[in-house]
Amino acid sequence: MNGARAERGNDAGGSRSFLIGLGRGAAGAMLFGIPMLMTMELWQLGFYIERWRLLLLLIVNIPLLILLAHRIGFERTSTLAEACRDATIAYGLGIVIGAAVLIMLGDIKPHMPPSEMLGKIAIQSVPASIGALLGRSQLGGQSGNDEHEDDGEEDEEQGGGAVPDEISTSYSRELFLMAVGALFLNLNVAPTEEIILIAYKMTPWHALVTIGLSIAIMHGFVYAVAFKGTHEISKETPWWHAFFRFTLPGYLVAMLISFYVLWTFGRLDDTASTQMLMSAIVLSFPGAIGAAAARLIL
Amino acid sequence: MTTTANKRHTEVKEPHWIEWATGMVSALVVVATIAWVAYQAWTHDDMQPEFSIAITERRQTEGGYRVAFDIANKATATAAAVTVRGEILDGGNLVEDADVTFDYVPAESKSSGAILFSQDPGTREVRVRAVGYIDP
Repeated sequence: MNGARAERGNDAGGSRSFLIGLGRGAAGAMLFGIPMLMTMELWQLGFYIERWRLLLLLIVNIPLLILLAHRIGFERTSTLAEACRDATIAYGLGIVIGAAVLIMLGDIKPHMPPSEMLGKIAIQSVPASIGALLGRSQLGGQSGNDEHEDDGEEDEEQGGGAVPDEISTSYSRELFLMAVGALFLNLNVAPTEEIILIAYKMTPWHALVTIGLSIAIMHGFVYAVAFKGTHEISKETPWWHAFFRFTLPGYLVAMLISFYVLWTFGRLDDTASTQMLMSAIVLSFPGAIGAAAARLIL
Repeated sequence: MTTTANKRHTEVKEPHWIEWATGMVSALVVVATIAWVAYQAWTHDDMQPEFSIAITERRQTEGGYRVAFDIANKATATAAAVTVRGEILDGGNLVEDADVTFDYVPAESKSSGAILFSQDPGTREVRVRAVGYIDP
């Protein structure tokens, strides 16, 4: 930490740490994006997904990245402008890494029509850009958070304990983190045929058990099992307080994200409402785990 | 609201009313979902897939003739690998047939597809029917 802080003053150190940050972002985009980059269904979605649904997904990704950058950041960003900058970098990295890997895998070839290439890259850029942001914050660890760029505002946090040791997470932000976690895991599994196949194989009884287990796992992940970052409930508060205020809304968020992702990938078209619900329940299972994990990790 | 102090998160004791409101709405939706699925489970009876096919479009295409159709499955069971055969009949004699396979025709849902013939059926009879499926 001290080394990083000493470097901060001079320009060379600054640009070097920026390059390191870019590297971490690229690594994150790879790490989190590879499962999707190597999924056949996502390549196919690249050319048959309805263009306005793809457009909506790409646009929704922008505020999502900005909020995420503001929350976890490439660096611990303080201003909106910095968050926008980081989000832009992450999106750019996502597009570049997505394109590079798809070309390397031979999935994009020169003879293909431009719309197919663009579609494939665009759809991959969403998870890859989230991965780029996560990679920078998660792979960077503590030192990553302290490497501020030279923008004159660095003195603000210097007083006392450098980083304020008590940050309060607002409720909406907590729900937002759950949405990001759910979205990320959903993007991983939703395009595969298995999700709808599972939904078709399941009877309503299976679905009931899945709902119960998803909620139980969500609650257990955050409150019961002592992972790093586990949320604690103060002794006097009954357990069901947190259950009602966080776990159930979290499950609802996971469910809504599941519906959104399924709709985006055209899995709900011409389908009966019961079947839609079944697919959403199946997809909410990984979604719930992602949401719970996001609360712990981010 | 969650307070993060020294990397430990503790839920504060006096939450904002909006947190309770969100919790209540979520609880209602989750309970409604469970009730809906439970109702489905209760009334779920083992049905076999039942198909009905409606021709939606007949059109001359380049080098052939396209008969587009919707296939609906009215039952509560999903069918996989549904093979649909289209036939041109001339007074009971088979003139041409062509197959198409649907990966899935979900329960109580509709899928659409088309059969491509090499010739215009004209006034001859066109028959489109499902010839088989497997359970998913």
